[in-house]
Formats: sequence, structure tokens, C-alpha cells
Amino acid sequence: MTMISQMLGHMDLGRTLAALWLPHGVSTFSPQVQFLWNFWYWISVFFTVLIVGLMVFFVIRYRHTKDRTIAEDSPSHNNALEITWTVIPLIIVLVIFALGFTEYMNMDSPPANSYNIHVIAQKWSWTFVYENGAISNTLYLPVDKPVKLNMTSKDVLHGFWIPDLSIQRDVVPGRVMTTWVEATHPGTYWLQCAEYCGNGHSEMRAPVVVEPYPKFQQQILAAANIFEQDGKPLPLSTVGKKLYTTLGCLGCHSVDGSKGTGPSWKNLAGSKEVLANGKKVAVDFAFLKTMITHPGRALIKGYPAGVMPSYGSRFTGKNIKNLYAIVWYINSLSKNSNKASQPPVPNKPAGSEPAASSAPTKAATSAASAAPAAANGAAAPVAKAPAGPQPVALHVLGAKIYKSLGCIGCHTVNGQPGVGPTWKNLAGYPQKLTTGKTVIADYKFLRTMILDPGKMDIAGSPAGVMPNMYKYQLSGKKHPHENKLNEIIWYINTLSNRSSKATEPPVPDVPAAK
Amino acid sequence: MTVTTITGSSFGDAPAAAAKPDNYLTHGKTIGSWLFTLDHKRIGIMYLITALLAFFIGGMLAEVIRTQLLVPQGLIFHGTGSVASSYAAYRYYNQVFTLHGIIMVFLVLIPIIPGALGNFALPLMLGAKDVAFPKLNLISFYLYVAGAVLAILSTVLGAVDTGWTFYTPFSIQTESYVVVMVLGIFLVGFSSIFTGINFMVTIHKLRPPGMSWFRMPLFLWAIYATSLIQVAATPVVGITFVLLMMERVMGIGIFNPALGGNPVLFQEFFWFYSHPAVYIMILPAMGIVSEVIPAFSRKHIFGYEFIALSSLAIALIGFLVWGHHIFVNGQSAELDAVFSFLTFIVAVPSAIKVWNWLATMYKGAIVLKTPMLYALSFIVLFTIGGLTGVVLGALSEDVVLHDTYFVVGHFHYVMMGGTLIGFIAGMHYWWPKMFGRMYNERIAQWTCVVLFIGINLTFFPQLMVGADGMPRRYASYLPMYQPYMIASTIGAYIQLVAFLTMAGYLMHSLFYGKKAPVNPWGGGSLEWETSSPPPHDNFETTPSVGDPYDYSDLVFDAAVNGYVHREKSEGPLVPVTASH
Repeated sequence: MTMISQMLGHMDLGRTLAALWLPHGVSTFSPQVQFLWNFWYWISVFFTVLIVGLMVFFVIRYRHTKDRTIAEDSPSHNNALEITWTVIPLIIVLVIFALGFTEYMNMDSPPANSYNIHVIAQKWSWTFVYENGAISNTLYLPVDKPVKLNMTSKDVLHGFWIPDLSIQRDVVPGRVMTTWVEATHPGTYWLQCAEYCGNGHSEMRAPVVVEPYPKFQQQILAAANIFEQDGKPLPLSTVGKKLYTTLGCLGCHSVDGSKGTGPSWKNLAGSKEVLANGKKVAVDFAFLKTMITHPGRALIKGYPAGVMPSYGSRFTGKNIKNLYAIVWYINSLSKNSNKASQPPVPNKPAGSEPAASSAPTKAATSAASAAPAAANGAAAPVAKAPAGPQPVALHVLGAKIYKSLGCIGCHTVNGQPGVGPTWKNLAGYPQKLTTGKTVIADYKFLRTMILDPGKMDIAGSPAGVMPNMYKYQLSGKKHPHENKLNEIIWYINTLSNRSSKATEPPVPDVPAAK
Repeated sequence: MTVTTITGSSFGDAPAAAAKPDNYLTHGKTIGSWLFTLDHKRIGIMYLITALLAFFIGGMLAEVIRTQLLVPQGLIFHGTGSVASSYAAYRYYNQVFTLHGIIMVFLVLIPIIPGALGNFALPLMLGAKDVAFPKLNLISFYLYVAGAVLAILSTVLGAVDTGWTFYTPFSIQTESYVVVMVLGIFLVGFSSIFTGINFMVTIHKLRPPGMSWFRMPLFLWAIYATSLIQVAATPVVGITFVLLMMERVMGIGIFNPALGGNPVLFQEFFWFYSHPAVYIMILPAMGIVSEVIPAFSRKHIFGYEFIALSSLAIALIGFLVWGHHIFVNGQSAELDAVFSFLTFIVAVPSAIKVWNWLATMYKGAIVLKTPMLYALSFIVLFTIGGLTGVVLGALSEDVVLHDTYFVVGHFHYVMMGGTLIGFIAGMHYWWPKMFGRMYNERIAQWTCVVLFIGINLTFFPQLMVGADGMPRRYASYLPMYQPYMIASTIGAYIQLVAFLTMAGYLMHSLFYGKKAPVNPWGGGSLEWETSSPPPHDNFETTPSVGDPYDYSDLVFDAAVNGYVHREKSEGPLVPVTASH
């Protein structure tokens, strides 16, 4: 009984009947979509009733009986009638076509003033990267402001599908897929993966929170810093627990010892494992790091190869801190945890390190990550104080654009192969073209490849994949100084050990007083 | 219509002293006489048995799917608490729905009507002794069996979890037996091509004198249009699957984005075949309905030319609409518009057929025997399937319905409510001819009613839940969708009851059914001129050809419990009673 009443509770009967099944969409597309749906619906009801009605009537009226063993005389064709019932459906479907097409063209053209969100799809989680660099698993959207979604997939096809906002688009690996939406009502909705993507497909969903613009900004500011909660710094293992969900680890790795697609994290750190090639290894920090950043290098026996996505590009630079946090979390789940299996930084609240207490948000993160960043040979980023616009180095802005514009979908920054050439040690190095020529990747070359990718193709990378839309987004009349382009090229330069005057943009990497 | 004498049959006036007449079922008694037969009728029966077996497996998998979806977390395959354990369990669900799709599409829907009913009835309707290439016909059958065996083998080895669509790059990356499965479908594809060639040549070359194109029964037009698609489209999917195998085995980099391939290209290739394949499935079913409705309305088919030519129109335009499966995959909006436009154009010939069938019933004398009940079910279910297809073809609506249960509901209405119900109508229509036995009419009629209810209860809630936003291929779902899912599952169980009953009364009829007369329904095409079951060579003498939809000459003869030609009838003519 309770089960039935629960079920009825779930079903909103009013919504089912009154809305004729389509959810009341809350985006600017929804009214038109609903209108065409209703138009089609009532035409369908009319024709179904007509066809079934005629059929039932004929069966009753012309039923074979003792007195009615043969058909009455009636013509076996009638051209006028047949042309009529050909032309009428034709006109109706053409009207439906025209209405559907008009709204679809609107769905296909994002307005120029859209806010950009980069959507990363992978088995089996959604990650959203905002213009300020914040990362979340919840999609935050502002009300009454167009948002352009630049979507990339790390592995297979996924489907970006929010029924309540009337938008859907496949996310194809190796491409930047775009769609846009302007929500009209605040509320919480569901994003569900619509394109089949394997084991966790049916659970690959994310909440969509639509809020007024000021609240939206607060949300993404808060999301920008995962290392603390309510202004208080968190221990790394707690941060790692958050990342376990955010980065989608939970899809394959359990923390309670139950079997999943990948090894359970319970009692993993510090234990001994057998690899697929028969070798025995100790699960220490170095092994865990390799398995996370370069999963192709080893495989624990009994698990399928090629399933684990490579997280290498997620943990470069200051983001190495995130890797430490995850490994600390793995250690916290293991009774075998020992010095060798733990990361080289202590599991203390990030804020307990010097100079962090006064600057609660970004400063804490960058201070804590200063050491690994310096060790990578990159210049330590200039810290950005949370209040007021302070100068930021151009390459730091470039690193953000790398995410928000979707470069991250094809270009890694750690030397791992991607769809396009890696940015690690790209600037200043000779590049072989498909024409057989070899050119040095200097500023001019990089600029051409970004703005006009069709001009040349680097050997080994597929032709025609790089979008040629960047010349409108980064250069041309609207962007006479090419500020963003310079920021990107500065970023590429910081990733190379052959960076030189010739490879750097013509403006210095400091002022950024924009 | 003049008629030639029929001899050597179970006809009432056959000499009582004559030995039991030889028919194709008794013509050879060894197993080898079946396995190596070149008789189209026996090959048809072997197709029937194999395809029904496949249908049984596919159907049981469907019941597993529906049972899983009774509760939001999954009733059969679910985790032990952690997310990771759920995902590992859902893999088995994914294998189940993949296998269900592959079996139903490639082993049931595509071959069942041409393979079983087409093989049996086509030469008979032409008054011919056999198809044009009997050996090729047998090869087709064994390619089909080999393909089916490989498909089952891949399941035994470790199953496939790609969905029947094999979308890349998932199908390249997944650790499952994709290559074996795809090889199996490749073989089934060749079977389909050979059957198509065979039927086309047969219809071109073996029509009897007097049977011009526009005097052919409409089932033959439908089979002809189907064969055209089979021959022209199937090679494309064959090549696509070879490329997929090469991609997996050798890494040639055509579909794999990591190697510079284009995963969307696979979708284009796949649907270039698989959309026309939808017409491979539905056209023959429409052909059957076009035979059954006039025969049971005792009235000439209305608008013969429109029905015949609309089959060809569907076959030809059907080649140009594949892009409507992939509106949201990022192809250009202009291209989407062209595909959408053509999709609406192809909807019209299907609508024409429905009007023609209704007009055929107008002023007829409608006999509600089982085949007719199924034909009427077809009209209702196909109307719902067709109209829901119209909204999916509208671009802005497809965005909110693509890859949801609305699509699942839509194509099950067309495939199950259309193709399968059409097949069942045909099977009941030709059953007496095939086996020389009548099934229990009353039970068969009730089974049809139960099946009709079951199908609607299964698939209508799927349309609703899909419009409400539930995506397809989900092993688990948000709790708000549960009521629809439960209704759908109850419908699936009702269908199971109906199908088991059908299996029961058909099996029963084989051994205990009443002897079937030559022409139990009063059909006007040539297969009703030979005995039930027909002799090995189909006809003792070549029958003469008339209008297949002229029933004025046929009267019911209670002595044989079937229809006879007016001048052949002995004794007083008795009017038909509606049911026996």
C-alpha cells in the first residue's frame, strides 16, 4: 500500500494530463517547442480518432452476416479522392516541418553576449568549468542570460540533455560541440546523459541549478575554491573525498571494498597488487600517481584495460595539489597506509600554511601549490587577491581560456598525446608539416595555427578537426589588440623549455591591467 | 475468373480410395531431405522455425529488461550499495538490451517476413514451381543460421554491451566480443542481399503469362520494393562493419578520434543502411495487410496503383532520410533541414496506404477472422507509430525527444505494432496453407485482443515517460518515472501470456487441428488454387491468372468448410456464417 501511495506521489497527474506529457520547459526555447508539440498533438488526436472511428464504424456497419455475404458495389479507385488524401497530409506535415525548422535555427545560433561554460563529459560524470576557472559537478546557470556551452568528451559519445530547458546535443570526443540556453525561471532541474556510454550511463546525471545572476556569481566564486568550506581550510583527505565525486572516480572505484569496474580504494594504499603481466608491485605514492596520470602504463590483474581515463592533464601545475588530495583520501581508506604510500605534503588543512590566513580564497590555493609549480619549472603565478581587480600575469589568464574555450578537449599540457598536438614543449620546437616541410613553432606560427588552422597541418594530427571559429573570437574587428590570443600564446610559452623572444607574443607578460 | 482443375489435393471430391496424397511436407522424410532441400516452401518453414526461436530468445530478454525497470535502482541487476558496484552490475543490463536489439532487428524483424512468409508464398502467388535460384535460396538460409550462431557465440564468450547501433568510439573501446558479433551480422547481411536478388529475379522472370506488373498481388509489390532496398543498402552496412572490425583489430583510424578518425562518420554509414532497413521491415508487413484486408472485406482493394507505387516511393525516398537519426550530433543545421524535409515527404505514402485500406473496408462484407483482427490492429498501432514519427521529424521537437523513451515507444509501435503484427497476420493467413491444418479460431481471436492490449500498455507509457524526459538505455532511473515503467512492465507480461498462448494453439493445430480446405478465407491470389499443404511442385498444372482481388466468383461451400469457385461447387450454396 505504501508503495502504491509513494508511486502516486511521484506521478504528477495534473502535469501528465494538462501539459500533454511535455515538461513545462523554462528556457526561451520552451514556449515554441511546447506550441509545436501541442499543434502536432491535436492533429494526431484528430487523425487517430478519425481512422480508428472509421475503422470501427465500417466493421460494425459492414459486418459479414447471413444476409451480407458479398460486398456492395463500390468503385475500386477514385483519383480525386486519392489525390485529396495525399495532398492534405502533405500540407500538414510541411507546416510542421517549417515550424520545427524555424525554432531549430534559433537553437543553433548562440547570441554574441553569451556567458561561456565549458562542459567536460567523461565516463560517468559531468564537470563544468566557468569563466572564472571554477569547477563544479552541478551546472549553475544564471536566469535571463544566454549561456553558451562548449562541450568536450574525454572518452566516448555522451548526450547533454536537460528536458526542462528544452536543449539536447551530443558530446563527441575530439570535437568541441556547442549549444546555448537562456533559462527563464529559477529552479533545480536534471541534466541526464542521453547517448549510451556504458556501465554508468543511467547514473550519469547532474543537477542544474538556475539562479538569479548575483547568486549565480556567488556560487561559482565559492565553487572556485575546493580547499575550504565556509571560509575554513579543509584537510587534504577531505578535499580528496570531494574530488572522488567531482572527478568521477566513484563510477568505477568503490570505497567500501565492493567490486567495481576498477579496483576498490579500500585498503589499497600500501598493499601489494599483482599486475596483468604477472609482476608484483607495492601500491606506493609513485605507483598511485602513475596509475592516475598515465593509466596506460600498468594494469592491475583482473581489471579491463583502457577503461580508466587519463587524468594527467587535470593535475599539472598547481593542480598537482588535487592529486595529493586524492592520494591522501585513498590513504585515509587504507589500514595499510604508510609513509611510502602517502603524498610528499602533509595532510594538513591547506590554510595552515603560512600567509594563507589573511587571504582566504585563492591565495591559500596558490600558496599551497607554490612548491610543486616551481618544481615544474614554470614561473609561479602572481597571486590574485580576492578583493578588487589586481594585476595577473597574462599566461595565468591564458590557462583559464585554455579551459573555457575548450582547447583542453584536444590539447594536453603534459606531453600526453591528444587529438591535437600537446602544448608541452611546443613553442620553439620544430614541427613537421604534412607537406614535408619543417617549421619552428614561433609566435607567428602559433598565431596562424589558432586563427586559421586550415592553412597548415602538423603531421600526425588529424586535419580538419581544429575549429576555425577562433579567428572571430580572438581576432578581427572586435578584438583589435588580440588580448586573449596573446594570453593563450603566453600560456603555451610557459609550458615549453625552448620559449624565446621569437615564440613570445609582442606584449610583455605582466601588465594585464585590463 | 476461369479456373483450372485442381487434382491430387485434399479436395472434397478426391477419390476416397486414393492413397494419402503426397505434399511438400511428406515429400521426403529424412532429416537430410529438410536440411538440403531446395524447395522454397521447406526453406520458408526452416526460416520460420529459426526466426521464431530467435524471437523467443529476444522476447525473453525483453521481459528481463522490463523486470529490471520495475524499480528505479533496478530489480535484477543492481549494486551492493556503492556506486562502483552498481555500475559493474548495470553492465549486464546493457548486455541484455544490446542482445535484445540485435536479435530482434537482425535475426527477427529483417528476415522473418521475406524469409519465412515470402519464401513460402511468393512462388505460389506467382503460380511458379520455385524461386529463380533455389540453391542461392538455401545458401541465404545457412548464411542466416551461421550469422545467428556467431551472434549467440559472442554472447557465450562474453557478450556485447554496445547497443545494437554499435556507435563508435564506444564500440572500439569496450572490452567485449564486438568483432564476433559484427561478423555474425555481416553474414546475416549477405543472406539478406541474396534473398533480395533472388526475389527480384523471380518476380521479373517467373511471372506467369497474363500477370502483368499491375496484376500482381500487392504482397509481391511490397516484397519487390523490399528486395530493392536489401540489395542496394545492405552492402553499406556490411562495409561499415568490416571497417569497424578493422578499426578494432588493426587501428586503421577511420572512426577512432584518438587516431584522427571521425566517430560521427560511423553514424552516417550505419544509418544509411539502418534507416532503409526500417522499410525492409515494414514494407512486407504492409504488403500482408494489403492482402488480408480485401480478402476479409470480400471486396476489391481500393486504389491498387496508389498502394503499389507508394511501396516503391517509400523504398526510394527512404534512402534519403537517414540523417534524421542524428539531428543532435552536430551535423550542420542546413543538412538537418534537408533531412527533416525529406522525412516528412516519406511520411505521406504511408498515410496513403492507411486511407486505401479503410476505403477497401467501406461497403465490404467484413469477416472478423484472426488474420483480419491482426490487420486491423496493425492499422491502429501503425497509425500511432507513424504519427509519433512525425513529431520526431520536426527539428525543434527532436531536440527534446531524441534518445528518450519516446523514441523507444515510437519504434516499438512501428516494429512490434507494425512489422510483427503484420507478420502474425500473415502467419495466421497462410498457416492453413503451410501445414494443412486450422488453428482454434476462437482462442486465436481472443489472443489477438489480449496482445493488442498488452502492446499498448507496454509502449504507450513509454511514449509518455519519454516526452517527460526519461532517456533510453537506462538501467536505473529517477523515481518520478516509476509509475510509467510499472505500467509498461505489466504490458510486457500480458504480451508474454498472449505469445505463449499463441505458441500453444499453433502447436496444437499441427497435430490436432481440423484439416484445412484449399481456400479457407476466400483469397483470390494463386496460392489459394493449390491444395493445403501444396504438393512438392506447387501446382499440378499452371493455374490461370485473373484479378487477385476479384472475389465475386468465390462462394463458401460448407461441405469443404472453405471457398470454392462458383462453377466448381456441388450442392446448394450456403452463406458463410461469421464464425465457426
